[in-house]
Amino acid sequence: MEIAVSIENITKDFSLKFRGLKLRAVDGLSLEIPEGEIFGLLGPNGSGKSTTLKMLLGLIKPTLGEIMIFGSSSAKVESRSRIGYLPEAPYFYTYLTGRELVTFYAGICGIPKLRIEERVSEVISLVDLEEASDRRVGTYSKGMLQRIGLAQALVHDPDLIVLDEPMAGVDPLGATEITKVVLELKKRGKTVLLSTHLLTQVEEVCDRIAILDKGKLILEGTVKSLLNDEQSKSFLVKGLSLETEKDFELWLEARGASLLAKEPAKRNLDKLFLERVTARKERKDIK
Amino acid sequence: MRLFLIAQNTLKEAVRQKIFHFVVLLSIGLIVGSLFFREFNFGISEIKFIVDFGSGAITFFGSMLAVVVTAQLFFAEIENRTVQTLLSKPVYRAEFILGKFCGILFVLFIFMVLMTISLILVIGIREAAIYSQISEEIYSKGWIRYGDVVLFSVVQWVKFGIISALTLLIGSFSRSSLYTITMSFFLVIICHLQYLAQEGWSVTSIWLLQGMLQFFSYLIPNFQIFNLGDWVASGEALPYSMVWQAGAYGIVYWISVSCLAIYSFSKREI
Repeated sequence: MEIAVSIENITKDFSLKFRGLKLRAVDGLSLEIPEGEIFGLLGPNGSGKSTTLKMLLGLIKPTLGEIMIFGSSSAKVESRSRIGYLPEAPYFYTYLTGRELVTFYAGICGIPKLRIEERVSEVISLVDLEEASDRRVGTYSKGMLQRIGLAQALVHDPDLIVLDEPMAGVDPLGATEITKVVLELKKRGKTVLLSTHLLTQVEEVCDRIAILDKGKLILEGTVKSLLNDEQSKSFLVKGLSLETEKDFELWLEARGASLLAKEPAKRNLDKLFLERVTARKERKDIK
Repeated sequence: MRLFLIAQNTLKEAVRQKIFHFVVLLSIGLIVGSLFFREFNFGISEIKFIVDFGSGAITFFGSMLAVVVTAQLFFAEIENRTVQTLLSKPVYRAEFILGKFCGILFVLFIFMVLMTISLILVIGIREAAIYSQISEEIYSKGWIRYGDVVLFSVVQWVKFGIISALTLLIGSFSRSSLYTITMSFFLVIICHLQYLAQEGWSVTSIWLLQGMLQFFSYLIPNFQIFNLGDWVASGEALPYSMVWQAGAYGIVYWISVSCLAIYSFSKREI
């Protein structure tokens, strides 16, 4: 399997223009992301996530180290023809319609004129924005901006998609739509690198994650290996009376196991929200 | 192709800007208004006044538009971070700078076409009115040459191109549009006074000062070369050599200042 992104010991220092002081935003970071993987870059604000993404996109140069995209240096403009990028809180040319915007980026990416219309329609349909595609981008909601941002990132069918905080400021419905698109991209064999604060979404979509803090890599691994506790298991039980519950505890003790926690089953707030909002939409309660 | 698309998008954005509409309307208003500010003695002097006033309005507002629109269009991309989306695609920084520059040249071209048509119309209206009231003998002494008005406008457009390139150069390393606009206006004033350095260089005998003034006069474009308004107002034929000289001089600065802007922008962290 080809390595999509190879980050080799990169360091980035920003000059503070004060007595020659420098701020180290990224400190000796090394990562490898194989093709076809969804990789989550996590970390608190100021941990160096966005700086790492900017270096990967050639927007800023690393002070030390090198980044390779499918074997080609990220400093080369050609390497970007295989990357699609959705910036954090994207802002686009508000005077263009969604379709015009994606068409503009399609041209910039060098898609042949004859194929542009077809390709633009394809990605607009993928992000489910057909109805609003002829409206000016200036009238779009945050969620719609994220989706049109995804469309422009995908228009040239890149192999690596870089998403900077794709679910930030988006409601659960919008976040679910974006999650769907990301999972669809994985099905198509694309590599996705996303940085986010929303850990629930990371759990849902990422194969592997890395956590950065103060520019340093502090944890890396598959979501399963990092979150699963092999020593204990959880059971979700329904219709257990108080008496049977006590018997169950005794039964466990007799077999050398102990009950670590006993609490009422909780529903996920995101799921509850989605169930209710989707149901209301289906009943057409909202005009 | 990418350069053309960026230029086209820049043009689209510029013609939607209020400052563009404002400057165009104000300039046309002033040129048309010169019909009402005229001297009361009918004759050639009135036409000269209109040409002087019109060419002055074109030069002043064109320079202002070149600085403000260039700074606004450049910093709109930086401040709204649309430049990040654009440069994350396979786009060279040179294509971005040149695309912006070409787009702004289109905007300034539209401005010049509108101004030139307005000025020619105003001159034509007054000339026709005055011609009906004076003898053919006076008229034959020579009035305004419309072709020269067009040539004057072309030369001014070249000058506005230099101003725009200089603004892009300052914008390529500056952090704010306000700083860029202020510095660019200062630079425009210095370019208008560049001839002083040239004069100083030719009269001084101190070799160090002479060297410095010589270097300065090559570095800073001399905007007096583009000052052809007086020729047009005088009614005398504009020497083509002056037009060619000004055009070639301007294009050399377009190229050299744009190259500096590309170099400076390629070092910028976005």
